[in-house]
Amino acid sequence: MAHTADTDFKTRLQSWLPKLVLSPSLAMVLVFVYGFILFSVYLSFTDSRLLPSYGWVGLENYSKLWRLSHWEISLTNMGIFAALYITICTVLGLSLAIFLDQKIRAEGLIRTIYLYPMALSFIVTGTAWKWFLDPGIGLENVLQTWGWTSFEFDWIKDRDFAIYTVVLAAVWQTSGFVMAMFLAGLRGIDNEILKAAQMDGASNWNLYRRIIIPQLRPAFLSAFVILSHLAIKTFDLVIALTGGGPGRATELPATFMYSYTFTRNQMGIGAASATIMLMTIAAIMIPYLYAELREKK
Amino acid sequence: MARAVTSRRKLINTGIAWAIGLLIFFPILWTILTSFKTEAQAIASPPLFINFDWTLENYGVVMERSNYARFLWNSIIIAGGSTILGLIIAVPAAWSMAFVPSKRTKDILLWMLSTKMLPAVGVLYPIYLLFIQLGLLDSRAGLVIVMMLINLPIIIWMLYTYFREIPGEILEAARMDGATLKEELIYILTPMAIPGIASTMLLNFILAWNEAFWTLNLTAVDAAPLTAFIASYSSPEGLFFAKLSAASTMAIAPILILGWFSQKQLVRGLTFGAVK
Repeated sequence: MAHTADTDFKTRLQSWLPKLVLSPSLAMVLVFVYGFILFSVYLSFTDSRLLPSYGWVGLENYSKLWRLSHWEISLTNMGIFAALYITICTVLGLSLAIFLDQKIRAEGLIRTIYLYPMALSFIVTGTAWKWFLDPGIGLENVLQTWGWTSFEFDWIKDRDFAIYTVVLAAVWQTSGFVMAMFLAGLRGIDNEILKAAQMDGASNWNLYRRIIIPQLRPAFLSAFVILSHLAIKTFDLVIALTGGGPGRATELPATFMYSYTFTRNQMGIGAASATIMLMTIAAIMIPYLYAELREKK
Repeated sequence: MARAVTSRRKLINTGIAWAIGLLIFFPILWTILTSFKTEAQAIASPPLFINFDWTLENYGVVMERSNYARFLWNSIIIAGGSTILGLIIAVPAAWSMAFVPSKRTKDILLWMLSTKMLPAVGVLYPIYLLFIQLGLLDSRAGLVIVMMLINLPIIIWMLYTYFREIPGEILEAARMDGATLKEELIYILTPMAIPGIASTMLLNFILAWNEAFWTLNLTAVDAAPLTAFIASYSSPEGLFFAKLSAASTMAIAPILILGWFSQKQLVRGLTFGAVK
């Protein structure tokens, strides 16, 4: 009898225990992520300024937001930044991966070095780059004192070029990581196909163009999605590197949202911008994650 | 992918690879080197590489003047605390999803993971307001909780993928031999899960250590970690180049060491498992 009761208990335990231990995590994600996101979205429809207020104003914040030149600048910058950042990282990452795939001595060590920048805080690297790019003490100064007196590199102080210094620092930080993604993709390609193609006399160039690169499609997709969400989330790097300046030359949506909420006390408008960012990321990420997980079933 | 490469070619490739590696590592290397120079040497022209008088002076000054120890301690508490708290909550959840999956498990995972990709600004207000209400602004406890919450989906996801790699046959065999759930957990699962848990821990520690959005927004003085400390060196002034370098070196040193052991986890975690 005791044995049956014990088994009974065990069966019951095994049926409810998994759900029980999963529930705290579910509850936390539900409340603290989705609940809070809904609250932010709700704020974007209210007249909140310094503090949340619950006067419903409909889409007014959104229409105000779209009339702000500050927001327009952030979006233009985002466009420039994202396009360059994603393209350059992909090209560099793929080139480095193809290169490292050529049987190189101490590959593990080199891979780690390429990956290092990604392991560091954007705040630290942003601050370091800020000093390097500073015309007075950084690269410009160094090359000038080495005798190249006409050398000029003051993009970080130039309204028209400052956004490219953000691209430079971000590309430096992420390229090695993208390389690691492509390298994993390259290593996953079936050797037999390559051998067969080589036997048929395919040149190296054709081998890459017709066989290897098309097979890297999933890696391209992952790289694109991950780089785009990193781009939209970019905040720390800009804060450390340029602080959004000179002027508003390097403002991005995340820094825009930050300044509207905390320095201008326009919570409603800030929330509206956050909502737009959330929707953009969701539109890119959710189909991808869905496909990714379905595939692995 | 392996192709026949001549040994001369291999040597040249290795040389180029190292040159690129040096180029990538240069800003970090230069920061470290500069931290050992005097302020005058740091901005000397032409720049000095290793032929300067190595000094630890900057480290002494930075530690003394800026209360470095407190920032460091805050970083350790926040990164360590959030990692441990996160694991306590995530290990059972990941165990449940990996070993007792239901029809919904995949959807739940997807749903959780999707939150990690959303920009933090989306939940900044509510958390900020809640922190004011609860008096958690600029407190280590508050940051431990926030860091745990923002990284929880990725911890669960990482653990889940590691747990899934543990062969289910072993568990079945143990059950056949009459092992209880408790025995199964303690003697069979735990030893096999430890590498995955350790990897997840490492990744989460690095993520939390580097986090700046929340630390900059939610801390001022008392709970500010090293990221906030570095951010305070905001305006380039020639006089403090060496001291900034010393401060940066002290902030990244733990990551340079941990990063060495965690490159796989880093790629796996940051690609949401797309790369193993």
